[in-house]
Amino acid sequence: MSSQKLMQRMNLQQGRPFANGYSSRRVDTVMGTRMESKTQVRKSASPNFVSTNGTRVGRPTSPSRDRLIYVLTCLVGHHVEVHVKNGSIISGIFHATNADGDFEIVLKMAQVIKEGSVRERKSDHDSIKKPQPMVIPARELVQVLAKDVSLSDEFTPGQSCEKRKDLMIDSVISHSHHLEMERELAPWMPGEDDPECPELENIFDGTFDRKWDQFETNEALFGVKSTFNEELYTTKLERGPQMRDLEKIALKIAREIEGEETQDLHLAEERGFSYHDDFNLDEESRYSAVRREVNGSGLRENENSDMEAYGSGIIAGSLGLATSGSFSDSLSKKNGNEAQASCNETQASSTSSSVVEEACLHTLADKGLGLSSVDSSSELKSDCIARSSSLEDEIRLDDNQIKDQGGKSELMAIQDSQTSDDVNMSIKLEEVSISAPLYDPSSSGQGNIITESSDSLVRGKLPAASESVDPPIRQGSSTSSSEYAHAESNRPFLSPSTSCGSLSSEKSTLNPNAKEFKLNPNAKSFTPSSSVRLHAAIPDGSFYQASNVNAVQHMHGLPMGVGVGPSFSHQPVFYNPQAAQIQSPQAYINPNGPVYGQQMIVGQHPQFYYVQSYPPEMPHKGRKF
Amino acid sequence: MEGGGGEELAVGCVLSLRTTLGDEIEGQIVAYDRPSNILVIRCSQEGSSNAGARRNIRLLKANYIQDFTYLKKAEDPLDLNKCYIDLAGLQAREEASLRQAEIEAERIGVGVTSEAQSLFDALSKTLPVRWDKTVIVVMNEVRVSIPYLPENVTGGTPAANDRVKKVLEFERKRLQARGPGQF
Repeated sequence: MSSQKLMQRMNLQQGRPFANGYSSRRVDTVMGTRMESKTQVRKSASPNFVSTNGTRVGRPTSPSRDRLIYVLTCLVGHHVEVHVKNGSIISGIFHATNADGDFEIVLKMAQVIKEGSVRERKSDHDSIKKPQPMVIPARELVQVLAKDVSLSDEFTPGQSCEKRKDLMIDSVISHSHHLEMERELAPWMPGEDDPECPELENIFDGTFDRKWDQFETNEALFGVKSTFNEELYTTKLERGPQMRDLEKIALKIAREIEGEETQDLHLAEERGFSYHDDFNLDEESRYSAVRREVNGSGLRENENSDMEAYGSGIIAGSLGLATSGSFSDSLSKKNGNEAQASCNETQASSTSSSVVEEACLHTLADKGLGLSSVDSSSELKSDCIARSSSLEDEIRLDDNQIKDQGGKSELMAIQDSQTSDDVNMSIKLEEVSISAPLYDPSSSGQGNIITESSDSLVRGKLPAASESVDPPIRQGSSTSSSEYAHAESNRPFLSPSTSCGSLSSEKSTLNPNAKEFKLNPNAKSFTPSSSVRLHAAIPDGSFYQASNVNAVQHMHGLPMGVGVGPSFSHQPVFYNPQAAQIQSPQAYINPNGPVYGQQMIVGQHPQFYYVQSYPPEMPHKGRKF
Repeated sequence: MEGGGGEELAVGCVLSLRTTLGDEIEGQIVAYDRPSNILVIRCSQEGSSNAGARRNIRLLKANYIQDFTYLKKAEDPLDLNKCYIDLAGLQAREEASLRQAEIEAERIGVGVTSEAQSLFDALSKTLPVRWDKTVIVVMNEVRVSIPYLPENVTGGTPAANDRVKKVLEFERKRLQARGPGQF
């Protein structure tokens, strides 16, 4: 009641924007609701009605009274202490006051916290009274004490509402009244006691320190002996008389690879190149952002990255594909262009190549490959990318028939050795370096047989390949698919009569009517024990099974090599149709790209023989294209 | 401000006064209402700026002023242009306060000794407790009745019972150590 009057008064005061924006009606509503729940202390004595002119009948308005009313209104809801005449102090929540009357105080949840009366002081043993609404008559009132009241803050409704929210924010809970303002932040400067750690600053600015051996340091500092045995993780390097030369070659190639220009940020940084593009890259884009396709190199990047995903072996050699493509006459043009383009691309992004090359080298070293081939290969390797086009031409001339999807090829290596050593080697190595698992039978120009048998294999795998390996082997797929399309029709162009003339004499065992080999990058890796599965699409992960399988796994084309088998089934040699010289080329299997392959090759040489003996029909089994 | 009862009680003046009850107050006059004889004083507080400051407010009946000293004249603490009342906010605040007070009131036992109340408060710091007349109910299972000794702990699982006993003993010790004469 009194509160209502209070509010009304405030609204009606002339020139007093106490209740800004609130219509009287609204006030009434508001107060009306409250009124019901309130305990009525006493009815308003004086009829207080709103007059149109705003003046109130009854008590004269005065600014001072208004101010008092304003202050009292601000106190509503506050916890106050009321001192009364007898000295008692009553604590409660201020609820209302009689603004028209003499300002008696209505408190809710009030209790007497201090008895001021002299008479019996209730001992504390007694009960503590339950809080209840209390009214303090004006005559009893001495003073009202309210703490932490802000008088002028109420003008922003939102602001005050926020403060009254029921949400218990931490500061409310902890009742911190410190009202800390934001401190002026100053950058940290090392004090005198702080140890100087200059090496921590810009740790990435220095170039990679290759002299520091972590194991040495560890042992020196902590006496921890390293049990690292490299041979556990990679192929054992056979140190023989050829070691030095191989090492030289390897170093040369490594240097070359590392010195290659790359678009890849991380590689560039590793190699010490400052990224040739813009230096606006911040830390995030350099090290943590997701790599997006870059214009122009999108294709390449994708291919490479995807290829890497499959494992170093499967680096999609656009280059490899290109080369393989180049091998086929029909597609020579197209592939040539592609190849060139891809070659250029791969050239730029030497990621895969480097990996492959290194792997290749390792295997080369491992197997103690014939120096000749090594030399040639190394030579080629160094120029392989550059000369890819030329090589392609050569290869094209030599091995038109074989359409390989660009495999890495141990097979190729083997095959190549015979016919055109240098070229083949280069091709093979090239292939190897490029990528791996794609079998590139074409290089060897073993041609017909290989292609034919592999053709069927390839064919079956092509669709799968194109699907799963799509982006990375984009070119390959296209190539293969195109090849596939051409498979049938390209027969003639892969006819044994063409190309590999040199091979003809040696490929007496080749089946001239064998179907063209088509690389299926997705072909399942060959496991000697389970030959039937050979033609199933290989999941990407399967490439990593190489460890316990022969190198065939890594090469998409290996199965095709198997396909080649029939002709060589009787030959205890690798699928290199050129059986004679296969002995040495055996080592070439190693360069079959993936490092994993190396391991396999070492221990699983014999497995290759399995490949050889792989029944020719097998490849065709699953392939109901 | 018009008439206000003399220069001394003008709005904005800073006074130092003493009440008949012995309180000494110093602050700035916010308002003075003659008819009701209520003086509104805003107590000064160090370290707080003027605007948005939260000060203690006193409403004092002027007839209880024993004497006062006029210290100085300052500005009107109320900026009349900014005097707005947020009724909704006020309502909300009051409701919140009431709720809070009720919650706190729940914690206080009716008809229990202050010692018991202290124990209750101590227990409530780590355990959910509530009053059931004069019995402390812990976790709705364990009951501690007068005189709130470890022997009076009943109910609940043995584990809970033991826990309450332990806490009770510990709190008793602590309270005794803190203020032997408190009870």
